[in-house]
Amino acid sequence: MKQHLDLYLTLLKTSIISQFQYRVAHLFWLLAMMVEPVVYLVVWGTIATSQGGNVAGYTAGTFAAYYITWTLVRQMNIALTPYAFENRIRKGRLSNELMRPIHPIHFDMSYFMSLKVVTIVLWLPIAGLLWWVFQPAFTFTAWWQIPAFMLALLGGFVTRFLCLWALGLVTFWVTKVSAVFELYFTIELLLSGRLVPLAIMPAWVRDISQWLPFQWTFGFPIDVAVGTLTGPQVAWGLAMQAVWMLIAGGILALVWPHAVRRYSAVGA
Amino acid sequence: MVYLRLFWIFLRVSVISEFQYRVNFFVQLFQSALALGTGLVAMSLVFSYTQNLAGWTQPELLAVMGVHIIVGGLIKTIIQPNMNRLIEDIQEGTLDFALTKPADAQAIISVREFRIWQLIDLVLGSVVLGYAISQLSTSLGWLSALSFAAAVLLGGLMIYSVWLMLSVGAFWIIRADNFLEIFDSLYQAGRWPVSIYPGWLKHTLTFVLPIAFAVTLPAETLARQLNGQNLLFALGLTVFLLIVSRLFWRFGLRHYTGASA
Amino acid sequence: MGQTIKVDTLIKTFQVPEREAGLKAAVGSLFKRKYREVEAVKKISFGIEAGEIVGFLGPNGAGKTTTLKMLAGLLFPTSGQIDVLGYEPQRREKELLRQITIVMGQRNQLMWDIPALDSFELQRAIYQIPEGEFRRMRDELIDLLNMGDLVKKPVRNLSLGERMKAEFISALLHRPKVLFLDEPTIGLDVTAQRLIREFVAAYNQRYQASVMLTSHYMADVQALCKRVIVIHHGQLLYDGGLAGLVEKFAAYKTIGVTLNDPELDLSEYGEIISNSKGQVNLRVPKSATAQITTRLLNEVAISDLTIEDPAIDSIIEQVFQQEAQVV
Repeated sequence: MKQHLDLYLTLLKTSIISQFQYRVAHLFWLLAMMVEPVVYLVVWGTIATSQGGNVAGYTAGTFAAYYITWTLVRQMNIALTPYAFENRIRKGRLSNELMRPIHPIHFDMSYFMSLKVVTIVLWLPIAGLLWWVFQPAFTFTAWWQIPAFMLALLGGFVTRFLCLWALGLVTFWVTKVSAVFELYFTIELLLSGRLVPLAIMPAWVRDISQWLPFQWTFGFPIDVAVGTLTGPQVAWGLAMQAVWMLIAGGILALVWPHAVRRYSAVGA
Repeated sequence: MVYLRLFWIFLRVSVISEFQYRVNFFVQLFQSALALGTGLVAMSLVFSYTQNLAGWTQPELLAVMGVHIIVGGLIKTIIQPNMNRLIEDIQEGTLDFALTKPADAQAIISVREFRIWQLIDLVLGSVVLGYAISQLSTSLGWLSALSFAAAVLLGGLMIYSVWLMLSVGAFWIIRADNFLEIFDSLYQAGRWPVSIYPGWLKHTLTFVLPIAFAVTLPAETLARQLNGQNLLFALGLTVFLLIVSRLFWRFGLRHYTGASA
Repeated sequence: MGQTIKVDTLIKTFQVPEREAGLKAAVGSLFKRKYREVEAVKKISFGIEAGEIVGFLGPNGAGKTTTLKMLAGLLFPTSGQIDVLGYEPQRREKELLRQITIVMGQRNQLMWDIPALDSFELQRAIYQIPEGEFRRMRDELIDLLNMGDLVKKPVRNLSLGERMKAEFISALLHRPKVLFLDEPTIGLDVTAQRLIREFVAAYNQRYQASVMLTSHYMADVQALCKRVIVIHHGQLLYDGGLAGLVEKFAAYKTIGVTLNDPELDLSEYGEIISNSKGQVNLRVPKSATAQITTRLLNEVAISDLTIEDPAIDSIIEQVFQQEAQVV
């Protein structure tokens, strides 16, 4: 435990140093990522206004609250894309990593955590700007809303990270993986609350997404922040995150040794 | 003539290398279908709550979406891969190979890559557009068809010019890829008519990155009234951007030779 | 001391797709793809002692890197046994990984954007090196390689040679007992090559580490290795002393003669390799060297005469060429 803590702190330190050198690049990237939610927000805000003020319980103000929180959740959610495995294998970076007495997942985990330290600093002023332009309406009902949001945010990241890492392992067996990944991302877009709040979706879609990991990594933390969930609903969501962490982690633990074995049979 | 042959040779090489990966065709088909599906889902969600979006009816919006897919396909077939390669070459110093060929360097760097499978989007977009037009009450003359084609062509050239200027930024800034990241996401905003956006975004999409001209205008020419004035304005802007980007390219080249010496 | 590496009848086969040139073949390969088996390594056996530096020679594609990767645990052998420090490398146990290292000249492991010093810190955390030992080792290596304050500059601002030196420090901080060096001096200038060579020798002496080195530069091999293993087409051609390699494979010697009369033709004595103003180099069969020398001394007016073994590069080249003809 102490060893891992030392490793994480050192990894975080080194990657924060190198990430900060690209702060301008990060800023551009961040700005680019703002377009998507602003488009959704404009479209749905327009509809809400034209329909006499609300759509499925969402007013222009709650839509603004939803999509502004969206920008933070999206940033905190960024995890290794499964495509990274292709590079890892093709450029032989995996060979370097396999020579080290540490599981490569730790390098990724700490890298993406360091990324968040950098982006959150850059995100704050942009969020302020969006707040001023779109006038969001948050509902604060209880003191635990903020700590619960923090927890849900962290849980969402770890869950998504593990799911994507597990998915990336497909690369070891299949050469053309992008179709698989694209399918995953499309389903995620529709069922996570990224495209629209799940409340906008038909009931049967909401029923399905209950039993999939996607909404627990995206829509759920947003709903916690916006204030549309009750205490038991929040607890249930956190529990679902834990379940999916266990499932994805379990798959990872089972498949990883085979993936390495496969890699070392074919060669780098 | 020389340049046509050059283009043909590059095209042939690209086709040969892409044919080695047949799977890519199916992968691309699959991805385009997914993207189309997502767009349709978003649109049907919108129209399950309302009859029109800021004055745009469903068939009109479908037409915008069709044009968006067509122009996006053109970008991904030829503009984006060539510009990515240009940036890569500038970053790694391998641009020398293109510059030492006895032909206009801008022409070479603009036609080296060709992603044939991306043309699928052209087909899918046309289907969407065709369906949208059949749903519209307006009848379609060959004059509006012609001006539509002209509008798409002008839009494509404008996007090429802007993209070239952004890529030339790589002569000074190491991580110029990030500009393109912004371009890519702003292009996604073109899926909806530019007029629905608040002023600042509308102006960005019209004058900074001419997506309004590349997508909304051609769709408008078909789905709504043909507006000769807008088309003329687009022509003027295209000529202007082509000249400016040409000058900027030359300016950047001077910087390149200066830096690598 | 005993052996740190033992390799017994090691075999590695790959499946590779076959592909022909041209548009027609490209379209054809869409539907049917042919595979063939390639034996990259064929029944190789050898052992390496602690503290020994062994040169691993062979032309491109001979199976050097494949063998090295199997020894490092990056490739799974098709059959045969490997034992490194008592472990099977393909099992990749942490205890083994903490005692070995691999340095590849064409691949960098240091983080590009930060000073090497910070990357070293990362190595400490990864290999869990105790703080005191880490500092001592780090400073010692920096000193040995004359890196000085260069370790405080971002890696991307270093020259190729400086970067390689930093790579070496990073790779040796955990004081490995076995070093796999794959073309460590490739692309470096002569001074940097010499420095790396001296460094490897010093590390080997100080810590009695076993080193396996592949290099295209025979100077590396001559400076560092008493023993060489030569492989070609995946087969072991030679395993023994460097001197013995010359003895075994050099079929010719070079006789250098300085003539009193520059016009004299010596082609009846042997093959003339060069001739400039009476300075003639003759290539003669090794077995006939003594006889031809005697004849030259008796029959021709000579002011100077030398006998030399051919350069090691040309011997190696000759060995590979001969083999290629046989196959």
